[in-house]
Amino acid sequence: MSITVGIVTLGAANRRSIEAALVRAGATTRFIDEPFAVGTCDALVLPGVANFGYVAQELDRTGMRSALIEAITFGVPLLGICVGFQLLFERSDEAPSARGLGIFAGSVRRLHTPCVPHMGWNRVDPQSDAIAQGWAYFANAYAPDAGVRDAIATTHDGDDTFACAAARGNVLGVQFHPERSSAYGAQLLTAFVRSAEVAYAR
Amino acid sequence: MPAKRIIACLDIRDGRIVKGRQFAGLRDAGDPVERALRYRDDGIDEIVVLDVSATLESRLANVRTIEAIAAALDVPLTVGGGVRGLDDVARLLDAGADKVAINSAALERPELLSDAAARFGAQCVVISVDAYRNGSGYAVASHSASRPQPRNADAWAREAQDLGAGEVLLTSIDRDGGREGFDLDLIRQVRSAVSVPVVASGGASTPESFAQALLAGADAALGASIFHNGEASAGDVKDACRAGGVVVRP
Repeated sequence: MSITVGIVTLGAANRRSIEAALVRAGATTRFIDEPFAVGTCDALVLPGVANFGYVAQELDRTGMRSALIEAITFGVPLLGICVGFQLLFERSDEAPSARGLGIFAGSVRRLHTPCVPHMGWNRVDPQSDAIAQGWAYFANAYAPDAGVRDAIATTHDGDDTFACAAARGNVLGVQFHPERSSAYGAQLLTAFVRSAEVAYAR
Repeated sequence: MPAKRIIACLDIRDGRIVKGRQFAGLRDAGDPVERALRYRDDGIDEIVVLDVSATLESRLANVRTIEAIAAALDVPLTVGGGVRGLDDVARLLDAGADKVAINSAALERPELLSDAAARFGAQCVVISVDAYRNGSGYAVASHSASRPQPRNADAWAREAQDLGAGEVLLTSIDRDGGREGFDLDLIRQVRSAVSVPVVASGGASTPESFAQALLAGADAALGASIFHNGEASAGDVKDACRAGGVVVRP
């Protein structure tokens, strides 16, 4: 039996491409936007094609903030993607007054890459064996510093090097879009679904 | 630095790919989902889908087509054509587009770009600029290149960027479908006016022509007929790029 991955859909999000990619990775998916639905999922994906401040506000308005933190504390595997990755940090220059979930220490800042947004396929350089080396698709104007506590991989463009993946316990976040990163992204999503299956079996 | 991107463009109407020249004389060129996946297998970095239809029925068919492409595809998808307001942007993103290209509506109401960027983020807002040679510079036209606009291409691209567009899809009307190579002067003029990525479109002729556009400063180069007719694959184009010293995704 495949596990159920809840895709958190707060306003603007590329939920369909994430849904399709998770199904290809062997999961059953469910869109969730209310706190009570969080508990019905074996794993969670926090996607993001949106503004940091907008999603942070939606997390509070819907009550999803406390539901997600509770699930993470309980050990439910969670994958944050793009702005969903950034929301796992404490705050972002994109919306200085908004609060992130604070799972990862540190903040998100504007890029100083030659082209902003940093758009296209770039190399993921692992800093640990928790993630593979490869080429992934990015579309971001903000990212955490390369030196943040939980970073597991970095990417660089011009004289800017930033963290493109972080992990802590059952929480993984990636700045790139695995659902749009062809074979490399499929491998990452399959590993995430597999880890959730293992967590579920315990 | 991100690899330079090779993009295939699918112009769709009534759920089928069509292709014309200088925005006219459209003819059928196949099933979009099948094509998109074949190009993905060949190593294409991104797919652009432009809705070239006018009627409501076509539009609904095309949203369903975009949903089908988006669900099947695992490389980025940009969608444009007929975007009038924020609701259209939201609908296309919800259908699975990663980026939405806005053209005529932004010329009429430039604030649509800032509204879309505030709501969805600049990274998914693409300003589509259709440009034609006008003296030593380039002017802009709207409505599928049918209406000249009192703006220069470089100034308009800059204004759009400042409003919130995160990428410029730059099409040479003079070169569209003509297979004479990209308009390198147009690429250089717009490249020097903006700091966001520039996608060069119009005139793709040979694999080498893509390398020329990328060496002229484009961050991505887009082709349609060259791929639809099977004259070259994304792999062939990338080989030519590497030979010319352009870094592309393996």
